Amino acid sequence: MTAVALPGVRGRQLWAWVRIAFCAVMLALVLAPLLWTVFLSFRTNIDLLRQAPLDLHGPYTLDNYAELLRNQTLFRWFFNSLVVSTATVAGVLTLSSLAGYAFGRLEFPGRNWLYLIVLAGLAIPDQSVILTRHQIFSDLHWHNTYRALILPGLSAPLGVFLMTEAFRAIPRAQDDAARLDRANSLATFWHVLLPQTVPALASLGIYTFLLSWNDYWWPLISATRPAMYTLTEGMAAAQSNYVEVLGKGVLMAEAVVAGLPVLIVYILFQKHIVSAVTGMVKL
Amino acid sequence: MPNHTQGLEIRSVVKRFGDLRLFDDLSVAIAPGEFFIILGPSGCGKTTLLRLIAGLETVDGGEIRLNGRPIHDLPAGDRGVAMVFQDFALYPHMTVERNLAFGLRNMQVPATEIDTRIKATAGALAIDGLLARKPATLSGGQKQRVALARALVKKPDLLLLDEPLSSLDPGLRLHTRRELAQLSRSLNATFVMVTHDQVEAMTLASRIMVMHEHRIQQVGTPLEIFTRPANLFVARFVGATPMNVLDGTIAKARNGKADFDLSGHKVHTAITHTSLPAGEGWQVGLRAEHVAITAPSATAIPATVDYVERLGEQSWIHVRLADGREIVANETGISPHQPGDAVGLTLDGARAHLFDAEGRGYHAEPA
Repeated sequence: MTAVALPGVRGRQLWAWVRIAFCAVMLALVLAPLLWTVFLSFRTNIDLLRQAPLDLHGPYTLDNYAELLRNQTLFRWFFNSLVVSTATVAGVLTLSSLAGYAFGRLEFPGRNWLYLIVLAGLAIPDQSVILTRHQIFSDLHWHNTYRALILPGLSAPLGVFLMTEAFRAIPRAQDDAARLDRANSLATFWHVLLPQTVPALASLGIYTFLLSWNDYWWPLISATRPAMYTLTEGMAAAQSNYVEVLGKGVLMAEAVVAGLPVLIVYILFQKHIVSAVTGMVKL
Repeated sequence: MPNHTQGLEIRSVVKRFGDLRLFDDLSVAIAPGEFFIILGPSGCGKTTLLRLIAGLETVDGGEIRLNGRPIHDLPAGDRGVAMVFQDFALYPHMTVERNLAFGLRNMQVPATEIDTRIKATAGALAIDGLLARKPATLSGGQKQRVALARALVKKPDLLLLDEPLSSLDPGLRLHTRRELAQLSRSLNATFVMVTHDQVEAMTLASRIMVMHEHRIQQVGTPLEIFTRPANLFVARFVGATPMNVLDGTIAKARNGKADFDLSGHKVHTAITHTSLPAGEGWQVGLRAEHVAITAPSATAIPATVDYVERLGEQSWIHVRLADGREIVANETGISPHQPGDAVGLTLDGARAHLFDAEGRGYHAEPA
């Protein structure tokens, strides 16, 4: 918008430099703690316990990572997170695409009311239902199970909304063509319409994965046995007594390993993440 | 004339949308091998009629028979009908080959036959080089061929085409029109096509059905539609420019034909006066090519040139009569007339049509 106010080539160039500088500052703010974490994860504990500034020339060590391999708890948590996130993604994609197909494509009595009720779920904060949820899960003796960690994540009004819009965006003529090609509703859904929602599915899947992988609050309430901890919960628990037991370097190595899957997801699905995030902004 | 066991027969079909009676007792029969075109302006109900035949909409009364078999209660896929959609509706995530195979697989056609049929159809439509491509990588003309192939590969008894040329650019439209004509001749299949373009209808159809406001206005060969329009709507809708239609009165001439009085000038028609009902509110209809522009004279109707459209091979000259009414004349070649020129008009009364107060058309007996 300022670009309009600054006329001429010089104004545009100046504006470009301002934007680059702004991005550079933001990047540095985000990147600095991450790089610092990686840096610290390669230093010895003795080094880290000293009050003196760290010397960039070393010594460097892989001991912290070796320690992670010796002490298997991290991998248990890692596995738990992976199971919970993967199951949540699979569940959300299945439920949201089926619901989206119904809301976006089928005519049935009460459809609009039902859709409105689902969308109203967007307005309900987790915090307002978490006590009741805890109570219900406790009564059912579901705490400390994968079921307890996965189920709440499957309620995804945003996913239903995204998929409904994705199905609505497909021209009706596709259904007509499929009907003339003798496809029943299921075949039309599976072979004709669902493949056309892949971009939306990808965005939703990535978003759900990140949300589930980074979730801390619900696992903190539901998983009380260390064997059922997810990564976020386990690492938070380890932080409170790191100096006595593990040491700062191991903690940093844990953080690096914990961040890797997210990083991999980012690198693999960069394009979809951008469209997912811009899609969310448009909401 | 279509016989009553073969071909498509639409009998007293009723279609309602809520309280609106869209079709009320609509009947038409289409013979096997016909290239039948439903022509009308947008909103006339032509696409709805096509969708009723396809089974994409349900009839509220009457029946639709294909080769003697009632099909109006069958699901769309079981009617022996294939359709080419206006925007082609190819499956964007499938290759051309899978687009063609999808319907055949659902029809439980054996895999080897699917292969044979796809090869044959792709060869006939010259899309064999495109089988591995996705629709997004195809040009408009290629998409059109693939859409046609997807319909024809199913060997339908009836092929429906919903404005198949409207999403092509003009040059390609002409080319594809010719191909469609050749295709329908070589396949000997029955085509029912919907269009709002009267040039497409005139050039492609074996018979045209003109629709307006959900009613059939006229069914006939292109020549019949053009030379003997059933009513004013057809007369104005069909033709490169709308027919000139002017108010006046009729009188019986000495030869028994009707004379039309156009503000004092007699137009001697070739229409038998006794065939006309009594009444007022007559209008004469004359196509632009039957209006000749001459030098002003005592016998010619005086007029002033208003506006000239020169297309190269022909010109349309819009002239104004002394009473302000407008007439369009046609001249071959590039017209020398200029706006403001005073000219005379000679009307070819033998080619004139008469329309009564209800708009019904009356024509000279064919020679």
